[in-house]
Amino acid sequence: MRAPKSFEEGMTRLESILDQMQQPETTLAESVKLYAEAASLMDYCHGTLEKATLQLDEIDAQRAPRPDAAH
Amino acid sequence: MAEVISVSALNQYVKNLLDVNDILFDLALRGEIANFVQNARSGHCYFSLRDEAASVKAVMFRSDARRLGFRPEEGMKVVVRCRATLYERDGAFQVYVNDMFPDGIGSAQLAFEQLKAKLEREGLFAPEHKKPLPPFPKCIGLVTSKTGAALQDIRNVIGRRWPAVRLLLCPVNVQGFEAADEIAAAITRLDKSGLVDEIIVARGGGSREDLWVFNAEVIARAAYHCKTPLISAIGHEIDFTILDFVADQRAPTPSAAAELAVPDRIEQRRKLCTLEENIHNCIQFKLSLCYNRLEQTEQQLSRAGLQAAVDERGTRLDALSERLQNAIRNKMQAEELRLKHAAALAASLNPYGVLARGYAMVQDSRGKICLPDALRPGQTCKLRGAERRVTCTVETVEELDESTQKL
Repeated sequence: MRAPKSFEEGMTRLESILDQMQQPETTLAESVKLYAEAASLMDYCHGTLEKATLQLDEIDAQRAPRPDAAH
Repeated sequence: MAEVISVSALNQYVKNLLDVNDILFDLALRGEIANFVQNARSGHCYFSLRDEAASVKAVMFRSDARRLGFRPEEGMKVVVRCRATLYERDGAFQVYVNDMFPDGIGSAQLAFEQLKAKLEREGLFAPEHKKPLPPFPKCIGLVTSKTGAALQDIRNVIGRRWPAVRLLLCPVNVQGFEAADEIAAAITRLDKSGLVDEIIVARGGGSREDLWVFNAEVIARAAYHCKTPLISAIGHEIDFTILDFVADQRAPTPSAAAELAVPDRIEQRRKLCTLEENIHNCIQFKLSLCYNRLEQTEQQLSRAGLQAAVDERGTRLDALSERLQNAIRNKMQAEELRLKHAAALAASLNPYGVLARGYAMVQDSRGKICLPDALRPGQTCKLRGAERRVTCTVETVEELDESTQKL
């Protein structure tokens, strides 16, 4: 069980976990395992949502190639 | 008779006459462009200006033509500022145009329409070229002024909606002569950096003229070649710039662009909570399902359950043994009956029974049954009746006459 790379990946995984858990043939043991994974994913996703600081960096346009050299 | 002069002298004379005239030196002339050609090598433009009745040759040198925002076209109605004079070599009367304005429509507007038509023909606005915005961008490139209101607006909106994203600002001037190249370079720089998965080009408000820079062809081409999805946010509700047409998405304001660029935290939180609830319910349901099964099984295995099982088997055992006894009884009755019949039959065949009816058995001296035929005179034999035995001595043996016996 690895940490998701992004909020989006976390949400997608959560959706597929729910889907798997809803299958009647999924055993209780499997469901419990999935549930444990879901718990850490939910933690991660909540954490991402609550991250409060917006990061702003700058990049210098001058190191860019000339625009006409690009085409 | 006047003196004879050369052609050159005549042309020079007429030219001088014309050149000293103040009106001809700087005049505004209205007409329609005809026979327009631009020399590919020199860049000078040659054409005629005409009205319903007359026409005049016109020249516009490259240095002047280069400054035109629009491209002069055949049949276009224009007003030109020019000087009328004679081209000495050919003796041709012509006007030298140093500026040109579209008649009726603004030159900037005309340039805009022309560029728009050209880029549209080239496919720069094609809907199939438009890229979808990423639903969850990680890093957004911003092309805007470092000090402008646009940057503040974008920061505010994104900070509220989706602060998990990183903003990468490539600061540019959004006004002035250099702005177009700077903006184009910034788009390309961000695109090539590989750091951003979305770009917003923004300018916060301003007059139409202020926003004019975003109609530059160089920006349109940079945006078209940009591999990263690009949102234009040239704060103007009504007018579209060329960049708006090329961009993958157009937003009326920088704030609106920011809203397009990132998902909404509140909505995502709601989605996450719903998901969470469903997963909770699901495991609860699964657990209760298993619990119910367990309980059911447990009940079946309990004392009462066992007793029931024992009772049930006891009943079966009773039924079986009763059937067994019945079977045995029936069998015995049948066998008894058979024995009785056999005994009756046996009794009916008992030779001693016959003796009761007055018959006697002949036995030899050793008690063995013998036929009277075997007896000889003088021999002793015994006669056995029902109740007595008689010892006899044979006196005679005679043959029976068949006929006598029948009597």
